[in-house]
Amino acid sequence: MNLETFRYDNRIVRAFAIATIVWGIVGMLAGLLAAMQLFLPAANFDLAYTTFGRVRPLHTNAVIFAFVGNAMFMGIYYSLQRLCKARMYSDKLSWANFWGWQGIIVAAAVTLLSGFTTSKEYAELEWPIDIAIAVVWVIFTVNLMGTILKRREKHMYVAIWFYIATAITVAVLHIGNSIAVPAGLFKSYPVYAGVQDALVQWWYGHNAVAFFLTTPFLGLMYYFLPKAAGRPVFSYRLSIIHFWGLIFLYIWAGPHHLLYTALPDWAQSLGMVFSVMLVAPSWGGMLNGLLTLRGAWHKVREEPMLKFMVVAVTAYGMATLEGPLLSIKSVNALSHYTDWTIAHVHTGALGWNGFLAFSMLYWLFPIMWNTKLYSVKLANWHFWIAILGMMFYAVPMYWSGVTQGLMWKEFNAEGFLQYPNFLETVLQLVPMYGLRALGGSLYIVGVFLMAYNLWKTAKAGQFVPEVEAQAVPLKAQAEHVEKGPSYKHRWLESRAVLFTVLSLIAILIGGAVEIIPLYLIKSNVPTIASVKPYTPLEVLGRDIYIREGCVGCHSQMVRPFRSETERYGEYSKAGEYVYDHPFLWGSKRSGPDLHRVGGKYSDAWHYNHMEDPRTMSPGSLMPRYPWLITQKLDVTSLPARLSALRKVGVPYEPGYENGTAQQELDTQAAQIVANLKQGSIEAEADREIIALIAYLQRLGTDIKAEPTQAAQAATSTTN
Amino acid sequence: MLKNVLTDIGGIGLYGVISVCLFFLVFSGAVLWAFLLRKPYLQAQSQLPLEDGSR
Repeated sequence: MNLETFRYDNRIVRAFAIATIVWGIVGMLAGLLAAMQLFLPAANFDLAYTTFGRVRPLHTNAVIFAFVGNAMFMGIYYSLQRLCKARMYSDKLSWANFWGWQGIIVAAAVTLLSGFTTSKEYAELEWPIDIAIAVVWVIFTVNLMGTILKRREKHMYVAIWFYIATAITVAVLHIGNSIAVPAGLFKSYPVYAGVQDALVQWWYGHNAVAFFLTTPFLGLMYYFLPKAAGRPVFSYRLSIIHFWGLIFLYIWAGPHHLLYTALPDWAQSLGMVFSVMLVAPSWGGMLNGLLTLRGAWHKVREEPMLKFMVVAVTAYGMATLEGPLLSIKSVNALSHYTDWTIAHVHTGALGWNGFLAFSMLYWLFPIMWNTKLYSVKLANWHFWIAILGMMFYAVPMYWSGVTQGLMWKEFNAEGFLQYPNFLETVLQLVPMYGLRALGGSLYIVGVFLMAYNLWKTAKAGQFVPEVEAQAVPLKAQAEHVEKGPSYKHRWLESRAVLFTVLSLIAILIGGAVEIIPLYLIKSNVPTIASVKPYTPLEVLGRDIYIREGCVGCHSQMVRPFRSETERYGEYSKAGEYVYDHPFLWGSKRSGPDLHRVGGKYSDAWHYNHMEDPRTMSPGSLMPRYPWLITQKLDVTSLPARLSALRKVGVPYEPGYENGTAQQELDTQAAQIVANLKQGSIEAEADREIIALIAYLQRLGTDIKAEPTQAAQAATSTTN
Repeated sequence: MLKNVLTDIGGIGLYGVISVCLFFLVFSGAVLWAFLLRKPYLQAQSQLPLEDGSR
């Protein structure tokens, strides 16, 4: 036999492991700060950089892309080499992947806190960083596929299939959702508007959960769980069904984020049906994981790594049962926009991703440093503190979500809203928010214990940078003569490129089914004649709204329920959003919906409210925005912004930005200043607050301009 | 052409039915495929992570 000797690279795994721990702590601390800001407005520090609207995307991005992302790379770089019996395709690409990714994380942190954001959830980063992400992702994919192609193991284990699906789908999603026209170095407008933008965003958002947080970790589960349990996966057959079922189904389910919105009904129903069906492959995978431990449960008691793994897989099971439940329209009517969604995602993030990452770290450190874990007792402490932290996080959030949902919908005996003042429903939740912060703190304490434990483990051992291994090269391995389905499947697997193309087709079908009709069938978005593009001042005001992350707490989508039309006014129509690049429907209501806020309050009310919300709304938990009063409005970027908006389809006349636009802006600003004067407020016309007021006063008012047409449009939307 | 096909289906219900059928076919195909695979092959595959011990 022609044995080849080669070395597995542990250095890159170590680098990603350290990054996982460091960014995990940073991301979770950002989450803790955001959690505290929700019941303690002073925790916003009255600074633009530290307000909730900017800290929240920092938290979500740091946890998803920095913590979970690095953990994913760590696990893949370790397991792929061993499953392929080959060193990574290129050390240079490995390190370009590592440093590129860390650079993106730092750039993300700086830009998000500076207010550079697209506002699209989990895709907030602006276009230059989006391009960097695409480049680094291509580097990772080339390294992954290169390693697979030069492997010495003929067949690709199921974990590798999940890695391939991750690599190609994340690329498709990221590029598809990030197509935008730049209006400066850190500003862009998506080519999609309103309903289409919403659908593309949630096609992305839902599948980012699927293919960034789920499929790579399922691959890692299929590798690390059997390894730690010392026995093969329960059913390899089930893992095949799990894989094809999951990747084919997941893509279809995106519209469940948009139930009861202005999205066409057929798309909502499609999303709901496929979400419910997702239970089947998800639970197949979960049971496959848990049953792998049959006869080895005693090991779970002794091995901290397995403890974390079992909870991770169980949390995956809970989250993937709850997800379809929340996708049922009648449940979603109650749960959507409430903290129930927050509880749901944290079952996944803290339980599934967090515990699986911890599990891998506890497994890899002793192996890579060739020693024993410093303290099993400390790891057990971490385990129980983290469990307690999760409980303290999730239970108050479920309580809070259901409370919110019920209070929003409650009517009194006279047929009026029981809680017409939105603030009443918010103040009710403050104790729950306090408990949630306690839960988060406990979870972070656990991570610190782990970091200490792993640090001591590394200190006690000697790092093994490379591991020598031997295998027969693929060419020298004799071809199998076996025929039949097994042979065919082997044939398919042994052709990694063909396998990749088939996976790509599987994920493209679902996306195409969702998105193509929305573009081709005009009746899906009935136009409303009275809906006009935003004025120049409103465009700048809208961009300030985006910059401050207002969408993190305020939706702009009145659903067609009596409880909502009573509270906010006429329900939202698809045709009202045709000039909204990007859409700002939001996904959570820590504050009230704002789609019909235009004309509801005076300009002076908004001015005072932005300066200090508690003067207008005693007890409000909204942050203060004093800098909007003092900061000058940047009008120099207006031509670039209007021109970019025209490119994405907003019908501004050619040359408008260099002609009357500035004049119109001044006139509208002067009018707002005059209105403020009536409210005894002396304001300057060139401040940011003026633009923001202009935008807020415009919101949802277009259809009021011509009631008959609006009513007609409403009828055609519901038909 | 594609535009006409999609526009002409009118009731989007049919579109949904086609989608579900497509899914059903792919899913049953995967199940059928998995159950036709032979045991020695499956056993060999599931041993892959265990081959190099605990390294």
